[in-house]
Amino acid sequence: MNDIAVLMELPSVRLAVLALLLGSVGLPIVGVFIVGLDIMPVRFAMMHVALLGIAIGLLIGLDPLLCALVLCALTGGALTPMARSTTGLSGAMGLLMTLAIAAALLLLSISGVNANGAFELLWGSILATRPEEVIALAALAVIVPLLFWSRRRDLALLLHDRELALCSGVAVERLTLILLVVIAVAIASAIRLTGALLVDALTLLPALAARRVGRSLAAMIRWSVIFGLAFNVGGFFLALAFDFPPGPTLVLVGGVCTLLLHAIPSTAFHPGRVLH
Amino acid sequence: MPPPLPSALRLSEVICRYGKQLVVDHVALDLAPGEHLAITGTNGSGKSTLLRAVLGLHRAAGGVIEVAGRRARSSAEWARRRSEVAWVPQRQAAGRFPLLVRELLASSRHTGEATRAAQELGVGELLERPLSELSGGQLQRAYLARALGQVAAGAGLLLADEPTAALDFDGQEQVAAVLAGLPVGVVVVTHDRVVAGACDRVAEMAAGRLREAG
Ligand SMILES: Nc1ncnc2c1ncn2[C@@H]1O[C@H](COP(=O)(O)OP(=O)(O)OP(=O)(O)O)[C@@H](O)[C@H]1O
Ligand SMILES: [Mg+2]
Repeated sequence: MNDIAVLMELPSVRLAVLALLLGSVGLPIVGVFIVGLDIMPVRFAMMHVALLGIAIGLLIGLDPLLCALVLCALTGGALTPMARSTTGLSGAMGLLMTLAIAAALLLLSISGVNANGAFELLWGSILATRPEEVIALAALAVIVPLLFWSRRRDLALLLHDRELALCSGVAVERLTLILLVVIAVAIASAIRLTGALLVDALTLLPALAARRVGRSLAAMIRWSVIFGLAFNVGGFFLALAFDFPPGPTLVLVGGVCTLLLHAIPSTAFHPGRVLH
Repeated sequence: MPPPLPSALRLSEVICRYGKQLVVDHVALDLAPGEHLAITGTNGSGKSTLLRAVLGLHRAAGGVIEVAGRRARSSAEWARRRSEVAWVPQRQAAGRFPLLVRELLASSRHTGEATRAAQELGVGELLERPLSELSGGQLQRAYLARALGQVAAGAGLLLADEPTAALDFDGQEQVAAVLAGLPVGVVVVTHDRVVAGACDRVAEMAAGRLREAG
């Protein structure tokens, strides 16, 4: 077993811990939004859109990662009208995913760039976190909770039932647009930061665990952050101690904990319920 | 003499379609302020679609719909329309995501009256429960309480789509009495004789056409 205290002296490890702590505030809330809108494949879709953005950037000579981020934000926003039908968004994700990868491969071949090289731009690692990426996570850690807190009443209605939200004076289109753009940008920046696999551990797993125990949206949001912190910090130190690769270890810790939570009967969380 | 108040609801030549299927066929209706109308009719005859068209949840393919003398075209006008019309849906969403009874009542924009109505309708003890953990009848009562809150918040028209379908006998009579006492325009789709009997008029819907019963 490694000595954690010694490893914590390393700047790269410190930066990684900071990134994980910050990521555990904003990203699990984004995960709750993703689960709420029923668009779990959004990560795959955004990965492919980001690749298309990189291809465009390489072709026209702009910063490829910036292009990827902007394109993700634009496509996220462009999906808004699809949310009108109940099946719209999840179907749109699949379509987007395939179209984006095809367009990206075409553009990459036109621009003469090796597709693997472009993919690598997307493939971050938590131990290679750079300070500017920590700043991006810090921004998400502020913006996402603020978004939730300022619109929590409207969000609870929208994620429960779109028509109820419409009939309650919620600006449904605008709120959906904001959510989709925030989700797209958060995912695009997190993929770069941590690698595609870890994005799921940082967003979906805490949200899925929180859905198990939270009985209201506000409670789910609180629990998602708590689970995010616990999974990420726990998983990371486990990886450090045993010299495991951090990405898969984090995902496994989060995944196993989420599974266990689902195995416990729900009355264990709400003992009052059986008495009613 | 003051000008006459506009109708609570006025429909003329309203048409709704699903694809090619015509489900609301040139419907006309005039509901005076404070007047109560019951709509009965066979399953699938277009009653829910008609009510949903008033709220813009289904876009009518033709005709004119006016609430308090106003049509809705822009999204701002639809937003206003929805704030002027209280609504009890036929199928209350149990929802993908949790919503507490308290939050449902607050969405009426008159939490005080909605909560009082919830007490009266026997779901006042369930405020901290998610809707997904209510029985069908409790859920219907919670939605009714919300609609009564909307009326208190200024809605001049209540559309209720089979509001007593899930209720026990006492509940049906209670709701009929509550509806009858409302000072606003009411259109209630119902197969319940007590509820229909408490209305000023009864109309019947058949294959998309609305006609006044004798
Ligand atoms: N989402 C939909 N897509 C396609 N057709 C629909 C849809 N909803 C309803 N319909 C059809 O439109 C017609 C009218 O439906 P509507 O729900 O208005 O009937 P209803 O009079 O309210 O019936 P019920 O008494 O069963 O509630 C029916 O033939 C129905 O099959
Ligand atoms: Mg119906």
